[in-house]
Amino acid sequence: MCDVCGCQLTESADSKIVEVNKSLLEANQTEAESNRKHIDRMGAVAINLISSPGSGKTTLLERTIDEIGNSVKIGVIEGDIETERDADRIRAKGVAAVQLTTGGACHLDAPMVHKGLHALEHQSEDGRYDIIFIENVGNLVCPATFYLGEHKRAVLVSVPEGSDKPAKYPTTFRGTDLFMITKCDLFQYFDFSEKEAIEEALRINPKLETISLSSTTGINFDDWIEFLHKLLQTRSVISGQG
Amino acid sequence: MHELSLAQGLIEQLLALAAEHKAERILQLTVSIGPFSGIVADSFTFGFDALKQERPLTKEAVLIIEIPPSSFTCLDCNRSCELEQEEQELHFGLPHAGLSTRSCPACGSPRLFAKGGDELILKQIEME
Repeated sequence: MCDVCGCQLTESADSKIVEVNKSLLEANQTEAESNRKHIDRMGAVAINLISSPGSGKTTLLERTIDEIGNSVKIGVIEGDIETERDADRIRAKGVAAVQLTTGGACHLDAPMVHKGLHALEHQSEDGRYDIIFIENVGNLVCPATFYLGEHKRAVLVSVPEGSDKPAKYPTTFRGTDLFMITKCDLFQYFDFSEKEAIEEALRINPKLETISLSSTTGINFDDWIEFLHKLLQTRSVISGQG
Repeated sequence: MHELSLAQGLIEQLLALAAEHKAERILQLTVSIGPFSGIVADSFTFGFDALKQERPLTKEAVLIIEIPPSSFTCLDCNRSCELEQEEQELHFGLPHAGLSTRSCPACGSPRLFAKGGDELILKQIEME
């Protein structure tokens, strides 16, 4: 036995060492990159929404549709373990929605979203959208590891959940572009420090954008709409370059 | 996260590479786990050691895990640095990816952006 590393390896004249340097996440990454090209061909920008269950992802989408759904063509891919409830809520607004039910998996992955994109395409006459929202399975941990092909990733934490969430879930916050604090109409009822949450999130990821809003009362909802409009402008630049 | 399914994916890559090189036994392999990948090395090794028993090809394979140092860029002075991880009892995962009092060794700014470090890479295999 090797007394440096403890391995059982013995010298063998027939053995060979092969340099591999391949990612174990390669399969998902490759599929995600292909999803990204697919989304670009659909003319859209895509946003992956990640949060714990009940933080307000679907409600955010409902209000977004109310505010800009007439001028911006929205498509939604919903992810849940079971039920079509979230997709039904979106459909009730007259917007195309596809429900992916994982049956057990705690996150969406790129192959699932690939199927979702094809299904969403079929719901549109020309197969094109302006914004595709991907509402991930309610889970603040696992979705962070699986790139889906999105242009931007947003993480939501609602006021009742507490301002320590960025500190407790660093991997999730490191991998995101936008941190949204939701249910801000409830500040007076909870011990939530907006300052603490934002500072700690920025310490983990100094490039983060942050928005604090309420989808029910509309406080600061304009900041989110502005974020979406800015994202749509980048899309024009991309397609302008061919 | 999902260390067992990742270990399963690793086994599948080993089988494919062994077939390609006409090998009969995997002796040793090196996997690099990025400090910000969220993967727990012990759980990954545990999963791999359980799954490798299923076939003679992989049964004796020794898994070596490397964890590259965490690398940061300072957003204020733009210099890169690598920072030592803090030791802590009862911390099972990789060294803390989150908050600390770290600051840029060159200019003292706390605005350090982690570069990469979320990869999970099969680096090399020794087989016969």
